[in-house]
Amino acid sequence: MNDQQGESQRNEWQQDVPQRDGPQYSAFGFDGSWKEYAPIAFTNLLLTIVTLGIYRFWATTRSRRYFWSRTRFVDERLEWTGTGKELFLGFIMAVLLLGAPLLFIQFGAQAMILRGMADIAALLSMLSFLAIFYLMGVARFRALRYRLGRTYWRGIRGGSDDAGFGYGWSYMWKTTVGMLPASLLVPWSMTELWNNRWNKMSFGSQNFTADARAMSVFWRFLLFYLLPFIMVALITFVSMTSGGMVEMMRGGAGGPPPVAFILTIIGAIFGFYILLGLIALAYYAAFLREAIGSLSLGQLDFGFEAKTIDWLKLFFGDVLLVVCTLGIGWIFLQYRHWKFFITHMESYGVVDPEALTQSTTQLSRHGEGLLDALDVGAF
Amino acid sequence: MTVEARLWHFDGRNARRWQVRLVGDAQGFRLIADDWESGPWHWDDLVALDMAGPDAVFGHRTEEGWRIGFAGDAPSDIAPLLPGKQRYGGVVDRFGLGKASIAFAAIAAAVIFVGVKAPAWLAPLVPQSWEDKLGDTMVGDFGGRYCHTPQGDAALKALVAQMDPKGSARSIEVANIPMINAIALPGRRIILFDGFVQSAESPDEIAGVLGHELGHVQHRHTLTALMRQLGLSVILGGVDGNLGANISSLMGLSFSRDAEHQADETAIAGLGRANISPQGTAQFFERMGGERNEKPGKGKKKAPQKPDNQNVAEKKADTSIDTATNWFASHPTSGSRQQLFTQAVKKDHEYQVALSPAQWKALRSMCAQDKDVKSGWGF
Repeated sequence: MNDQQGESQRNEWQQDVPQRDGPQYSAFGFDGSWKEYAPIAFTNLLLTIVTLGIYRFWATTRSRRYFWSRTRFVDERLEWTGTGKELFLGFIMAVLLLGAPLLFIQFGAQAMILRGMADIAALLSMLSFLAIFYLMGVARFRALRYRLGRTYWRGIRGGSDDAGFGYGWSYMWKTTVGMLPASLLVPWSMTELWNNRWNKMSFGSQNFTADARAMSVFWRFLLFYLLPFIMVALITFVSMTSGGMVEMMRGGAGGPPPVAFILTIIGAIFGFYILLGLIALAYYAAFLREAIGSLSLGQLDFGFEAKTIDWLKLFFGDVLLVVCTLGIGWIFLQYRHWKFFITHMESYGVVDPEALTQSTTQLSRHGEGLLDALDVGAF
Repeated sequence: MTVEARLWHFDGRNARRWQVRLVGDAQGFRLIADDWESGPWHWDDLVALDMAGPDAVFGHRTEEGWRIGFAGDAPSDIAPLLPGKQRYGGVVDRFGLGKASIAFAAIAAAVIFVGVKAPAWLAPLVPQSWEDKLGDTMVGDFGGRYCHTPQGDAALKALVAQMDPKGSARSIEVANIPMINAIALPGRRIILFDGFVQSAESPDEIAGVLGHELGHVQHRHTLTALMRQLGLSVILGGVDGNLGANISSLMGLSFSRDAEHQADETAIAGLGRANISPQGTAQFFERMGGERNEKPGKGKKKAPQKPDNQNVAEKKADTSIDTATNWFASHPTSGSRQQLFTQAVKKDHEYQVALSPAQWKALRSMCAQDKDVKSGWGF
């Protein structure tokens, strides 16, 4: 940062943030290295083990502090100010909030059924399920709010004035409606919920706006419905060719032997899951491009450039890393994912540092415990 | 003493980066820019931040987003006034990574040890009435699956009078479930499954297994197991944060091997008091061991020994489940238990048969003849 000393503060901004059709230069950059991160990763693992997992909240914090501090936006690095204690408190809160409905579903319902109160048990189980469903929505919202609230750039942070309780209801009904017509409206519910979340978020004095459109990703989503037809075609093709080969070897007598048949079935099952995974990845890649691409903050527009092939490389890189290191590489996955995310992030437009004043949103005192406990991703 | 240095500065009010002069003494300092001044700031309020790059960066304990950064290391006259960096988190930083890890590991080992052992010490201290209430809440009337006929009830009562003359169990019932199983539940309840009653070849076998369950009741093993599972899932809940899985693992209660042995010894003592031969129970274990070691096809050959078995069809369907989920599977090996009971048989001693032939018949036909009883697991 020495080289930035004494520079004049005005007007250089318009040049620093790239324009969409301007020279190739990304507003986001990541300059961490896995060697630099390794001591953090290994000591985190050690401390997490000897504390029976309790240290993982502080471990997450240390990792994030590293990732954020090696992440540049325009000319200044990000800063993570969240603490392990906040994440720990968030976790405790999640245990208390989720514990009641989960305990009821596990113990209470069974006891009531055994006592012949099946109707009430079914009703209460339903309510418990709905409570958890609602909390998942709230958790998603609050995790994003927490992360923005603890992220600083040039001394300014993000946040939200909304606590996310309304979003919980949106999440419930939109997810349900999305699933109802043979899941056809899932792209709609996903983009709609993305917009709902981000339109409530802000950074400094400026509000995020998001207007992701479902139609942009809908065609790719339809690939899921094409899958059965692809499978039928593939199986027909494979069984015809292998059957034909066998017939040739046998001199044209009888059907395919059991071995070929079993191989075809196994191949079909594997093929099904591989194709399903590919389609899911292709859809998710398109979704994130649309979702982040629709996001803007004041005069800044954001973009995310990762294509399906990039995601595939990330995925196989992960697998190779974990397998080749006999599992220990697992502790570097977080690093890889953050790097992947930042290298594909783009931003275009103008920031005026004088006009970007401090956020007035309220900071939550606890971290993303609910999200952590419910195991749903951040994006 | 006067100190002076040049710094960069974010004031936390907007995103502008200032170049300022720090002028101060041992207590604190002021920041001086071209057209403004701020302060006094106290050295004690500064917090060292872990930022990338060569600069030493500090925040303020209460001023949001307020940052000062020295180009490179702080000047030598200021450095002693500045706070040190946090690395792993408060406690670990104080003792150092090595010492803290060893201390945590020792605490973790102690916690797990106590988690495994403490329930056995604590369970006897829980008032019996609490356990009874808990058991009633959990089990109720077992969904109307208890079998009752006047003769059968009388036979069961006669058996209980011999094995449990002091009435240590609050209820002992035969449940209409075709599994070879018997369970002790919280709240001093014992349930013999009809599948077990049908598989027994003499009332002495029932007496031995009943004595075993009475052992669990008298030594409060069910509460111990319940507390252990609950305690361990709380302790280990920190490791992966997957609440749902942890709470559901509570359902699979099992007794420790020591507890099983203790219950066996109680059973042998009970049989001795009632003057019933342990030989029958030994034979039962022989058959159980045989069924587990042999292939299912061979085990079925023994079915013709039970001519009045009403549930042959159902039992056949259940054989695989029986062997996989059978409660007896978690017990010490049938072989060693068979030995234990065989050794307890007194040579040349005249034993009584636990039930008269009429009573035995009444007990075995109890579930078949009870028209009101519900059946199976379909709750």
